[in-house]
Amino acid sequence: MSDIDIKRISYLAKLKLPSEKEEFYSNSLKDIIKWVDNLKKVDTKKIEPLHNVTEKTVSIRNDEVIKSNSVDDVLSNAPERAQNFFKVPKVVE
Amino acid sequence: MKNSISQIKKALIEKKISVSELYDEYLVKAKSGNNNSFNLVIDRENNISSIKDSQNRYDNGNPLPLDGIPLGIKDLFCTKGIRTTASSKILSNFIPNYESFVTQQLLNDGSIFIGKNNCDEFAMGSSNETSYFGPVINPWKNKNSQKDNLVPGGSSGGSAAAVAEGSCVASIGTDTGGSIRQPASLCGIVGLKPTFGSCSRWGIVAFASSLDQAGPLTNCVEDAAYILNSVNKHDFNDSTSSNHQREDYLIDMNNSLEKKVKIGIPSDYLEDVSDDILNQIDNTKKALSKHGIEFVDVEFKTTEYALSTYYILAPAEASSNLARYDGVRYGVREDGESLDDIYLNSRTKGFGDEVTRRILIGAYVLSAGYYDAYYRQAQKVRRLIKNDFQRILNEVDFILTPTTPNEAFKIGDKLDPISMYKNDIYTVPTSLAGLPGISIPSGLSKNGLPLGVQFIGNYFEEKTLLQLAALAEKELSFNEQ
Repeated sequence: MSDIDIKRISYLAKLKLPSEKEEFYSNSLKDIIKWVDNLKKVDTKKIEPLHNVTEKTVSIRNDEVIKSNSVDDVLSNAPERAQNFFKVPKVVE
Repeated sequence: MKNSISQIKKALIEKKISVSELYDEYLVKAKSGNNNSFNLVIDRENNISSIKDSQNRYDNGNPLPLDGIPLGIKDLFCTKGIRTTASSKILSNFIPNYESFVTQQLLNDGSIFIGKNNCDEFAMGSSNETSYFGPVINPWKNKNSQKDNLVPGGSSGGSAAAVAEGSCVASIGTDTGGSIRQPASLCGIVGLKPTFGSCSRWGIVAFASSLDQAGPLTNCVEDAAYILNSVNKHDFNDSTSSNHQREDYLIDMNNSLEKKVKIGIPSDYLEDVSDDILNQIDNTKKALSKHGIEFVDVEFKTTEYALSTYYILAPAEASSNLARYDGVRYGVREDGESLDDIYLNSRTKGFGDEVTRRILIGAYVLSAGYYDAYYRQAQKVRRLIKNDFQRILNEVDFILTPTTPNEAFKIGDKLDPISMYKNDIYTVPTSLAGLPGISIPSGLSKNGLPLGVQFIGNYFEEKTLLQLAALAEKELSFNEQ
């Protein structure tokens, strides 16, 4: 197993780990990855990945417009809003 | 023994108690909050009209299936107008403006919600210690060290403790790798995880979408059938919701099983287990053998890979599902100068340690260079695990296992994540296969703590699974102990 680049992984997950916790998470991740490494010895050459266990859930409905969620509903939990928009700091100059 | 739903309904029909009196009895207990089993107890005023409507239906002689029954709802189900937090700081101010499919069915059937049950943060945990609102205390005590507070199990720890302490008649939880069955076992109650695809996931805060499944935590098997009748329905809003014909789980529930039943006991599950746990299996075997049920040894080939598979797939799905918490559209926002800072600060401060750890595991196993070796390999092994179960269920009708490898442990006892993850060794394989499993209390440990056994059935065969569990429950007579 190669070393874990905790800075890269946390950036991928949009997390900014405090520097004093980087080692904690890095060690924890290493332990767990080592623990799950036993899967590598399973021969799966002829096996398809399994996405949905019951594999028989396709159901078709009529394409009808259903009234749900007003703009106010959708925005009701927004930390900050302006008119009908979610408000965030300026992204482009 | 606590009253069952059918006993309570009988008392309501015979006017021995009113809906309002019944509700108050449970509300008082929920409000006392000694075990921290609720994140939120709903104000009486918010339930007044439901109580009145329910009483009217009883007075008119046409009560609904769950009319007036006070229920606990895991704080993972979106409830319209009622704060829904997933026991996380990041959702601590979230008020959904829609009702989850499952809780809507419970409301349609006349039940009344007592409140939102505490759980592990985003349902990630096996002891309810990862909750932002603090741990839940198991109502049971070790008779040899009465003063210790024990965990109720998790993640539906609040749901299990609330039923065990009597602050709701029954509760609805969710199970991803054991989160209904394990706490049910540690709190001495019944917990059912239905087949994946039975109960709609719509409106449940998502953890791992290929595994998450709602189900009841109850005082008895019959109550589980009551709740399952209500919530087990097809829903177009969940693309994995199965559209098969559902049965009435209450009808014929206490009749004997129609055909001769053969139960497999996986010998590899019982290596190195304590006498306490072995006793549960032996007692159950003895109790059911009287009814001509045959027991045979079966052996899985994939058990040693189940936890590894789960701890790749579940965090991978979680890291994708939890990408939505960005501090922009809902949830708690932490300030930042740029949009990127808002994302980083909100997520870093909003998630607790265990959730952060799982997001990191997920991001790692999905990242370039590791995807095939971990995520894809785990999905393939998952198929082997499913095939393994199908092979065994071709030989036997049900599988009997312990629910947990140990009794309830002390709060703060298990600090290392891997030893915590091992708590779900008997429940995770069933979840990966998507099969239904029910835990029923089977006896007490040497320390006087409840333990459970799990019955596993075939896909969508909850009806016979409940019949078997009801028979075992009657013979084991845990509730009369």
